[in-house]
This record gives sequence, C-alpha cells and structure tokens, in this order.
Amino acid sequence: MLEHSHQTPKAPSRVVVVGAGGFVGGAIAQELAHGGVPVLGLTRKEADLLADGAAADLAARLQVDDSVVLVSALAPARTPAMLVQNLRMAEAVGQALAARPVAHLVYISSDAVYADDANPVTERSACQPSSLHGMMHAARELMLRSEIKVPLAILRPSLLYGARDPHNGYGPNRFRRLAQKGEPITLFGEGEEQRDHILIDDVARLAALVLAHRSRGVLNVATGVSTSFRGVAEKVVAMSGKHSEIRGTPRQNPITHRHFDVADGLKAFPRFRYTPLEAGLATAMQPI
Amino acid sequence: MTQPVIGFAGLTHLGLVSAIGTASKGFAVIGYDAEAARVAAIAAGRLPVVEPDLDDMARTFARNLTYSDRLGDLARCDIVYISTDVPTDDRGESDLSAIRTLVADVIRALAPHALLVVLCQVPPGFTRRLPLAPERLYYQVETLVFGRAVERATKPERFIVGCADPARPLPAPYAALLGAFGCPLLPMRYESAELAKIAINCCLVASVSVANTLAELSERIGADWGEIAPALRLDRRIGAYSYLAPGLGLAGGNLERDLATVLRLSEACGSEASVVAAFVRNSRHRRDWALRIAHREVLARKADATFGVLGLAYKENTHSTKNSPSLGLIEHLKPWPIRVYDPVVPASAAPHPAVTAATSALEAARGADALLIMTPWPEFRALDPQKLAAAMAGRVVVDPYRVLDPAAVRAAGLSHFVLGASAAAN
Repeated sequence: MLEHSHQTPKAPSRVVVVGAGGFVGGAIAQELAHGGVPVLGLTRKEADLLADGAAADLAARLQVDDSVVLVSALAPARTPAMLVQNLRMAEAVGQALAARPVAHLVYISSDAVYADDANPVTERSACQPSSLHGMMHAARELMLRSEIKVPLAILRPSLLYGARDPHNGYGPNRFRRLAQKGEPITLFGEGEEQRDHILIDDVARLAALVLAHRSRGVLNVATGVSTSFRGVAEKVVAMSGKHSEIRGTPRQNPITHRHFDVADGLKAFPRFRYTPLEAGLATAMQPI
Repeated sequence: MTQPVIGFAGLTHLGLVSAIGTASKGFAVIGYDAEAARVAAIAAGRLPVVEPDLDDMARTFARNLTYSDRLGDLARCDIVYISTDVPTDDRGESDLSAIRTLVADVIRALAPHALLVVLCQVPPGFTRRLPLAPERLYYQVETLVFGRAVERATKPERFIVGCADPARPLPAPYAALLGAFGCPLLPMRYESAELAKIAINCCLVASVSVANTLAELSERIGADWGEIAPALRLDRRIGAYSYLAPGLGLAGGNLERDLATVLRLSEACGSEASVVAAFVRNSRHRRDWALRIAHREVLARKADATFGVLGLAYKENTHSTKNSPSLGLIEHLKPWPIRVYDPVVPASAAPHPAVTAATSALEAARGADALLIMTPWPEFRALDPQKLAAAMAGRVVVDPYRVLDPAAVRAAGLSHFVLGASAAAN
C-alpha cells in the first residue's frame, strides 16, 4: 500500500531518471517532460553503474531536492552473472544516495518478485521469486529499503508492452509485430495462460503520479484484468487487418495464470484509469 | 438461600445487555460504570446501545436494576462480572490496560465472600494471573451477537465457565444464577474456557471464509451461492444455523481480535496456524468487493459519478461501525460526492469530505449513478425497485446481501450486483 506524503500532487523540482535510455525509463522521462517536470535523464553513457567510481559520479549529479527514479537494469537477468551485475548497479545507487540523500526514490521493480501461484497477487503477497530476474528485483528492493534513508516507492509492473519495446518477448510485443507482417503467431500450448498486460504509457503515468504525491510503499502496476495469450493474439490479428495464422504447439509446461487484486491501486490513485488492452494494443500498433 | 445480588462493572454493550438479561431472570442487579453521564443516561432510560427489545426489557425489569457510578456500591454484590470493553488496535490486538485497572478497583470494592467473574474477551492465560483467590475467581464465555444480544443474553445455548478447579462444584450463588437460565453448564479450566471463546469464533470465521471463497468463485463461473448455501444447511454435518452467508470481510472487531490472538499465540509457541492467516487475507480481499465493482461498473465508464450509500453500521440492528465495510468503502470514494442514509448511524460518521445526509433510503438514491446497499437493515427491503430506478440517474445497484429481490430489480431495468452470483446470472 502506498502512503502519500503530498495528498495534493505537487510537481517535483527535478526528477533524475537513472536508466532513461531504456524502454521503461525513456517512457517515464518523456511523460514527465510532457508534464513540464524538469528531467535529468541518465543513460548508460552518462552513468554507467558498473564503472569504477559509479557511485561518486552519480552522487555528484544529484541535488538534495531531486526525486530519483531507478529503472536501470540488465533485464531480464537470466544468468547468475547478470544477477550479480544488477546487484552491483543497485549497490552503486545505494552508495550514491547515502552520500547525497535526495527527496524521493522510486524503484521500478517487477511482479516477478512474487511466487508463480500467488493468485490473486496483492502488494502483501509474499516475495518468493522463481526466477533469477525476480530474485534480482527482490534483492534490489531489500538493498534499497535497508540501506537508504530516502522515502522509497517501489512499483512492481506486470508484463509490459508498447511500440518501443526492445525485447520482442512472447506476448503482445512479438504478436503484434508478427501480425503486422502477416506472419504466423506460434503459441506455447494453446496460449491458455492468462496475464495482466500493461501499456508502457500507463507505467509512466503512474510513476509521474507517485512522484507528484511523493508516495512511499509498494504498488503493483496491473490493470486487474488478465487475458490469455491466445486472446491477445486474436486481438492483434483482428486489429492488423491481415490474416496471420495462430498456431498452437504441444504443451511443454503446465499452465500458470496470473491475476491481480488491484484494490490497493484503486485506493492509492482513485482517479487513475489503466488503458484497456484493446486500446493499448491499438496505441502500440501505431507507427512510431 | 436468598437470591444473590449480581453486579456488572462496565455498562458497555456487553455489560448493559447482560445486566438487563440477568434482571429479567429475577435477580437484583447493580450496574456500575465510572462514567457518571453514561450511568445517568441509562438510569433515565436513554440506553446508549441499539438492540431489538432491549429498551422494553429495561423498563419491564426496572425494579431489579440499579445503576451507579460509585464503585463502593458493588460491595453489596455476591457476584461481580467484569464487563468492560477491551479495545483493539488496527491489527486486532487487545489493549488490556483498562480491564486490569478495573479488575484491581473492583477487587478492592468486593465483599469478602463475593465472587469475581471475567465476562469480557481476554486472551488465554489472563484470568489465572489475576490477584484474587482462585476459589473466588471465574471466567465466563460471553456470546454476545450485536443485533441479537437480548436473545443471546436471555436464552443462552450453554454456559462455559473457566475455573481454577473444574472438578469442584460451583459456589451456590453462582450455580443459582446460572441455573436460572436452564441451559447446560460446562465448567473447565480457565485456559480452556478462554480458548473456547476463541474456538467458537474461529469456527464461525472458517464457515464464513468458505462461503466467501466459494461465493467469489460462483460470481466468476456462473454459479449462484444463494442456491448452494441452503443445500449445505440441510447437511447435518454442516448444520441449519451455520454461517454460510457471504459477507464483506470480518467486521465488528471481535472475530478479528480472536484471529489475531491465535496468530500471536501460535507464533509464540510454534504451532501451525497458516489457515488463520488465510482467513485474515480472505477477509481483507472480500472487504474491497464493492469498491472494485464501483470502479469496474461505474467509474470506468463515468469519471464524475455520484454514489448513494445505504447503511453505515457494520451490520443491521446495531449502531456500531467498528471495521464497517460501508465506512471502508466510503473512505475510498472521496473524489466523488456521496449521499448516505442509515436508520441509526448519523451521516457525520462517514469518513468523506462531500457527504450529503439523506432523510430516507430513497432520497439517498436520488440522482445517484450507483446505489450501494452496504448494511442489510430490514427497512431497506421495503424499497421499491421501480421507484429506485426512477430516482437514480444510473442503473447500478450494488446489493451484496441481496436485500432487494433480484427479479424485481432486474424488471426495473437496473443492474443488480450481489455477493455469490454474477450480475449476468443473477
């Protein structure tokens, strides 16, 4: 559950986005800039968190009344080496913020911190990751929580999609690209698994709200509506105007679903509305 | 033997109802409370609690009832019950400081022969540690049900009495008092009786949690829990009176307190109690049922909606709003204007900056995009869905407890959302 330091939203004096070159960080920086918030976007070029002296370099860029959004990660963390690198990056940020405390820190985590069978997931569900990627985010959350005295908000988004997604992973991002080319979409099994798909713009809008309210605590970023992968595939094919075949394959793994109970989000930001999947897919399918 | 004189220290909901119930059995009763204004109001016939039949009974048996704010008056009693409130915090944990102070005060005032009976909810181990000779010290399980308190106080199913030595007969005055109610008497050691109270509530919560869990599933798969529950009640292993009506999470404070006590004791002694933690989680989940529907069915389509809310009390026939699902909902509808009506609780109890107090249920519905019937007060059953439909601006009626007849609501062109069935199936 989030608690707002500012009940009435107040624009941050400046937001430093650490990881502004990525899909999520770029969207957040852009949303803030559109809202007239001064943004210092740091990509790996300006702030390589794995470089020697990274903490001092970052600290030197920070001002006391800054809000910081930490989104930089080598993701998804698939190997132990990537896990360790990601933790070192968080360590550098922790050291920077210890040396130069700021007004607010927002950490973009992931719903991978929860157990696969934690349905319906709430912000109080136990952190029990089944992947290195989930463990990476859980460990980073704990590092930030325990080491830093700055008010901390943790956002845990579900699966993200959007026009600029770089991963092309299984789901809306890959499906829509295939559909737009009229190529077949291959499902795992019959694509029965239900997931809560989030348009990247919604993460950015929510992060902006969290910054404006200087919120503390944990919030899942999820619409509360889960859709099967087959359902997503059918939607993007219908929207593409082409005729991609949707192919099932023999199932290799058991079916798992993910559903969210989003009541905490409704309480934290009563007026916030997520983009429904069809409208979001239409946005994602627009030429950039 | 002359009839014993019975005292009640703490004219709370429990104390007052118990005192009047005991007076109705022909015993002289002294009700003590340190708060002079409360005592004066009760003595003048203005009872601070709402319970069916309670006012009539207080008048009928007034000759047996004395109220006092002087502790020394309890010296005339043969038995004094401790019937104060034990407040709980947000986590359901008890604050025992007030009861400890009251017990110490009452012990000083007691006649040398008099018995002390702890009637309020205390954690296991509490009674045995009180500073009074064990043969004068008892714990008695109360089974007060808000809204049905008089019936429970005058026709108890049984008495569960915690004693230092359950093998010894109860003292004659205490046996005479309990015997007047004509129900089974179960003496047991203090800790058993204290845990028995908790066990009763855990069983009730278990039933309600099953109902809530399967009611939610019913809503999603096209079943109707309203059809299923009567079938379960005919099963002798489940029972006609079992708690199978789904609700909006636990409320009132006492059940939550007992679950917190079990969790705390289990953690301390290392017993496995994850099912109790699951009851708490399920309760919290179901508590937001109406909020989720308000967003999904109303606010997702109309950003500037108006709501009518019927009922503020945590359940019907009570003035109590402790953990009330209605207040829990209203607190999270702050951006939107609401109109509220409760037969007993004033609109000022609603935690909301833009609340309008309506003078009737129908008035609360006027102009509303959605009507939420959050407490199943009997008078709401008389609402005419046709009149509701004419008064409301929108079509959504959120009626968790099925106060209104689903067919009539549907016939009036309204969408009816109830616990345990989907709106489409309903």
